[in-house]
Amino acid sequence: MTPTAGLSFKPVHYEQAMACPAAGLWFEVHAENYMVEGGPRLAMLETLRGQFPLSLHGVGLSLAGIDEPDRDHLGRFKRLVDRFEPFLVSEHLAWSRYDGTSFPDLLPFPRTSEALDVITRNIDITQSALGRQILIENPSLYMQLEGHEWAESLFLAELVKRTGCGLLIDVNNVFVSATNLGFNPLSYLDALPRGVIGEIHLAGHSPDPLLGRSLLIDSHDAPICDEVWQLYGWLLARCGTDRPPTLIERDDHIPEFDVLLAERDKAAAMMAGHREVVHA
Amino acid sequence: MPDLAIFQRDFAEALMADGQSGPSFRSQAFAVYRNTSARGVVEALRASYPTIDMLLGDEAFTQVALEYRRDRPPAGPVLSDYGREFASFLGRQPWTCELPYVADVALLDWLWLESFLASDEAPVPNQFAGNARIALHPSARFAWLSTPAMTIWLAHRDPWSMAELEPDWVEEGALFARPGHSVRAELIDPPLHRMLTECIVPASVADVVTNVASAFPTADVPSLLRRGVASGALILT
Repeated sequence: MTPTAGLSFKPVHYEQAMACPAAGLWFEVHAENYMVEGGPRLAMLETLRGQFPLSLHGVGLSLAGIDEPDRDHLGRFKRLVDRFEPFLVSEHLAWSRYDGTSFPDLLPFPRTSEALDVITRNIDITQSALGRQILIENPSLYMQLEGHEWAESLFLAELVKRTGCGLLIDVNNVFVSATNLGFNPLSYLDALPRGVIGEIHLAGHSPDPLLGRSLLIDSHDAPICDEVWQLYGWLLARCGTDRPPTLIERDDHIPEFDVLLAERDKAAAMMAGHREVVHA
Repeated sequence: MPDLAIFQRDFAEALMADGQSGPSFRSQAFAVYRNTSARGVVEALRASYPTIDMLLGDEAFTQVALEYRRDRPPAGPVLSDYGREFASFLGRQPWTCELPYVADVALLDWLWLESFLASDEAPVPNQFAGNARIALHPSARFAWLSTPAMTIWLAHRDPWSMAELEPDWVEEGALFARPGHSVRAELIDPPLHRMLTECIVPASVADVVTNVASAFPTADVPSLLRRGVASGALILT
């Protein structure tokens, strides 16, 4: 069965997930949550993997960091890749480590040619260590930074050209960044290279408690909003017949499994071309 | 120094600076990054120290976790690796003079986590060995504590017993092991603690029995051995 639309795996939904007959369903987990020696967490993932395609989504390689990826961390990542044979492996266009200190966040940077060289080096190291292609995800951005030399779409296109990586386009991140920084999300999506999007993410966001909807937070704690569904429909249409596997992400205020499955089914229907669900 | 390194150095300093940083880092947008990275660390620590969270309460735990982060920020991205020194950090805080069991309870939370995440691969029994040996299961963790921290820890894992919690102020031993998928936690006495300590380096059963019997002449050593094996902590190889 070709993977179509998937869900981020929540251990609290394990039993419903294992019993779910949805065609094309797959699951994604954060790789770092499974970088442990043993125990029930890994055993649960192994059972899930026996039934569904799995995607490993890394959050800690700090590919935009000035230092090379940590070798020990890459080794742990490689062991997971070897054990679970994921159909997709992805990481972020962000940094999260400086001078030995890690920050559990995905941090921004000026998109300069110097940064492009550093990230190219780090993706090369990662793909060599893992022995496979990875997908790079566009970040949610909150701050205007000075010194950008590249538009993000073109920066991602150049990384694809230099390293052979693919792209993971998070449509919610595009919407959040476009709102926060004041750019047109359709222009952003339209500038992406064609034929290299290996996965799409959809998620919910929330307004900043102080600034409201002028500053959106990529909180993954709410249903996917209409605007993001519309952008998703537009991106699918642009992808033509080559529609990337699409993931519904949810990390907080986790609802019942069926609520997430309904969002997943909507994405699967859109991928299958049921245009009536697109309100674009 | 390359521009990217200077940018990341300044950004990283501002993330740790509690709003005391330069003008470009005073925006509400920057606060999203500062809050997210601080909250990520606090919640990782809370997930690893659930009993301390119960003992201190949400607000006080957050304060202590932020102080710990300043002292020992995460060195890597795997959040279950973070917090190894939290118990000793708590033991150095002046306010724990009045709550002397807090550091010991934190140690027990950490030992439970280590047991939960330990390797599944136990040493393979070899029934043909002439000299039977004994080893610890990879998930075995134990400690001897100067406070009744294990009684307090166990009570917080079982809400029904909380109401009756009036521990005697005595030293206690604690043992965690995960023979299958769930961690078993139990109080242990000094002879069993001694037996477990003797097995940190795999040893012959005869040596372990002799050493425990000479240290605790009145102990029923065969029954201790059976108890250690039944708990999942000891493996005969």
